[in-house]
Amino acid sequence: MKIYLLDDLQHLQAHLAQDYQFHQVVTNNNGQYHWQQLASDETQPLVHDKPQSSAKGFFFAEQESLLVFNGEYFQETLPTPKPFVLFGVQSCDLTAIHYQDKFFKDDRYYQARRQQCLLVGLDCINPCEHGFCPTVNAGPGVREEHADIVLHPLGHKWLVIEQTSKAAEALQALALIETHWHYLTQRDLTLHQCEQKFPDDKYITDGIKKLNSGTITDEFWQTLAIQCRGCSGCTTLCPTCSCYGTRAIKQDNNAFSQQRFWDSCLYEGFQREASFNNPSAEAGTRVERFWQHKFADEFFTEFSRHSCVGCGRCEQTCPGVIGVHSVMKRITKEGGQENGPEVTHA
Amino acid sequence: MLSHIPDCIELVDYIDDGEQARHYLFRLLNLAHSKNKNHPHHWQQVQPGQFFMLNVPSIGEAPFTFTEPPNERGEFKAFIRQMGQVTSTLFSMQRGAILGARGPFGRGWPLDKIVNHNTLIIAGGCGLAPLVTLIDKLTNNSPDKPTDKLANKAKNKQQLILVYGARNKAAQMLTPERARWQKQIKIFNTLDATDEYTSTNANTRANTSDNTRANNSNELRATTVQGSPLMILPTALSTFTRPPTTALLCGPELMMSSAATYLTEHGMTSDAIFLALERRMHCALGLCGHCYIKHQYVCKSGPTFSWQALQQLKAD
Ligand SMILES: Cc1cc2nc3c(=O)[nH]c(=O)nc-3n(C[C@H](O)[C@H](O)[C@H](O)COP(=O)(O)OP(=O)(O)OC[C@H]3O[C@@H](n4cnc5c(N)ncnc54)[C@H](O)[C@@H]3O)c2cc1C
Ligand code: SF4
Ligand code: SF4
Ligand code: FES
Repeated sequence: MKIYLLDDLQHLQAHLAQDYQFHQVVTNNNGQYHWQQLASDETQPLVHDKPQSSAKGFFFAEQESLLVFNGEYFQETLPTPKPFVLFGVQSCDLTAIHYQDKFFKDDRYYQARRQQCLLVGLDCINPCEHGFCPTVNAGPGVREEHADIVLHPLGHKWLVIEQTSKAAEALQALALIETHWHYLTQRDLTLHQCEQKFPDDKYITDGIKKLNSGTITDEFWQTLAIQCRGCSGCTTLCPTCSCYGTRAIKQDNNAFSQQRFWDSCLYEGFQREASFNNPSAEAGTRVERFWQHKFADEFFTEFSRHSCVGCGRCEQTCPGVIGVHSVMKRITKEGGQENGPEVTHA
Repeated sequence: MLSHIPDCIELVDYIDDGEQARHYLFRLLNLAHSKNKNHPHHWQQVQPGQFFMLNVPSIGEAPFTFTEPPNERGEFKAFIRQMGQVTSTLFSMQRGAILGARGPFGRGWPLDKIVNHNTLIIAGGCGLAPLVTLIDKLTNNSPDKPTDKLANKAKNKQQLILVYGARNKAAQMLTPERARWQKQIKIFNTLDATDEYTSTNANTRANTSDNTRANNSNELRATTVQGSPLMILPTALSTFTRPPTTALLCGPELMMSSAATYLTEHGMTSDAIFLALERRMHCALGLCGHCYIKHQYVCKSGPTFSWQALQQLKAD
C-alpha cells in the first residue's frame, strides 16, 4: 500500500481518462445523481452524493447476449470492454461489488467486464440520506480489499491510497510523491466521526436478529406484502440483487441470440412453472424471500457478510413504504409478536 | 463446465407415449474429445436423477431428466411432456433438427443408500421420469448392461417396489419402461379418476394386494387400483419381506410431502426418504435465482433432497 497527497483531483481524473474509459457520478438537470462516461477534457468535480443507481450494471448488465445460434452451432458472445475506471465509488457500492465478485466468480460475462475495471473508491465523511453502512459493516470508509485506489477528502487536498498492483500501474506515470502515514490516522479519525453522525438504528440490528430467530409469522409477511406493488424498484436498485431471466431473440439471417436480463423475485410469475404450480404465489412469500436474501445468516455463512450493504436505496424508491427502514421497524415491533415479547438487547 | 453455452445435439427420433408426451432420442454431435478413456467426457458421467438443459434455439431453455444417459455414441433419451413454449416448439420440430444441451446438472439419487437396500419408490405422473435410469440400473435393464456390476450386485439382494400414481389411464406415462420393469419388480398403479378406472380395470378393483389378477401376462406383477398413491402405501409396505430402508419420491409436492409424512409415521427415518423437487429454472448454474428454496438453489443442491434436509430448510 502507498499513500499520496494530491492538491488537484482534476489532475488525476484527466490522467485516468486518457488511459481508461472514464465514468463518474454527475448531477443531471433534475438534480439527480447518476453515473456518466466523461471524456478526458470534460471531467467534473467529484460529487459526494450517492448515485440513484449503483454500479452493478457495469458488471452484471441489465440486459446482454449470452450466445448466438447460427443454425449450426452455439457461439459464446462474451463482452470485450475497453479498460474502464469507475471514479469515486462509495463504500456501500464497493462492498456490493465485492459481494457480487464472489457470487459471479465463475460467470464469464461478469468477469470479462470486471477484469477490465479499475475501481477508485471514495470515503464518505458524512452520512447520506437513508444510508446505514456502519451497521452492516459496509462503510463509510472504503474497505481494504474493495477498491484499487481510495480517495479520502482532506479539506482542499486529497489523500490517495494505492491498494493494488493494478493501481500502481495506473498511477505510475503521474509520479505522485508519497506522504506520511499519519494521514491514515487522520483518515480513521474522520471516518470514526462520520460513523458517530449516523442516526440511531438499533431497530436494524434487532430486526436482523428477529429475522433469524424463526419467529416471524407468515401472516406478518402477508400483511407487509399488501403494500408491495411488485414494481421491482427495490430489486433493480439494490446493488446485491442478481436474479435474471433468459429469452431468445430472433436476429437477421435466421440466427437466434439468447439473452439474459434483470429479473425480480418479487414478480408474481418469478417461480411459476409451466404446470402453473407456483411455490411463491403468495406476495408474502416473495417479500419474505427478498428480506431473507438480504439478512439471513445462511447467506452470511457463504459470503462472510449479509448481502445488504446499507445503501438505503430500497427505502428511497419503494412506493409502498416497505424499504429497509420501514420493514425493520415493523419487524422489531410486530413481526412474530404472537410468539413472544419484542427482542431487546441485554 | 460452468457455462451457458450448450453443445449441439441432433433430434434423432421420438415416440408418442401418454397424454401429449414423447420419448425423445437425441445425439450429441461433438463428442470428439470424449474418446480418451482416461478422461471421460462429462456427458458420460451422468448419475441417475441428474438433468440437462435443453436449448430450443428459437425459444429458450428448459430442464429435463435423462431417461437414458449418453452412451459412447453420444445418444441419450428424455421423456418430455408438452407444456409451454419450449416444449411446444420442440414438439413441432422434425427429426434431424439441431438443438442444444448443457449438463449434466444437479445431485442425483443417493446410490449408496439405494443399492442393496430394500427400496420403496413412489412416483406421480411425469415424476416417474427422473427415476427411469435408476430403476433400469437396479433391474439390470440399463443399456450399459454387460459392465454394470452395480446392477448385478444389487439385483439379488434387494427388493424394489414401485407405486405409480396418475390421474387416469391416459395420464399414465412411460409405458414401455413400466412394461419392462413389471417382469422383475412389483408395481402398484393408482388412478385418481373413478370413471376411467371402472371402465378399464373393473376386474382388479376388488383386491388391491393381488398381484396375479391382471389378465395380461405383461402385467403379471402390476396391480392397478383406484385412489391416490397414499392409499396403497400400507399394502405396498406390507408387500416387502423386510421393511424398506430407503424411499424415493417424485411427483407433485403435496403428494410427496404427504407420503414422506406417512412413511416417517410408519417407521422410516427422515434421512432415508429422498424427494426430487421441481422448480422453475433458467440457468442450472446457481445464478439466475429462479429455483430457490430458502437459501439453496434446487439446480445445485438438488433436485434430490432428503426429507430431513428439506424439513431442516423449512425450519431455518
Ligand atoms: C430438474 C427438472 C427435471 C425435469 N424433468 C422433466 C422431464 O424429464 N420431463 C418433462 O416433461 N418435464 C421435466 N421437467 C419439467 C420441465 O422442465 C417443464 O415442463 C418445462 O420447463 C416447461 O417448459 P416450457 O417452455 O414448455 O413451458 P413455459 O411455461 O413456456 O416455460 C417457460 C420457461 O420457464 C421455465 N419453466 C417453466 N416451468 C418449469 C418447470 N416446471 N421446471 C423448470 N423450469 C420451468 C423454463 O425455463 C421454461 O423454458 C423437469 C423440471 C426440472 C426442474
Ligand atoms: S451508505 Fe454509507 S457508504 Fe453508502 S453513500 Fe451512504 S454514507 Fe456513503
Ligand atoms: S436491501 Fe436496500 S439498503 Fe440493503 S443493499 Fe439492498 S437496496 Fe441497499
Ligand atoms: S436454475 Fe438458475 S439458480 Fe437454479
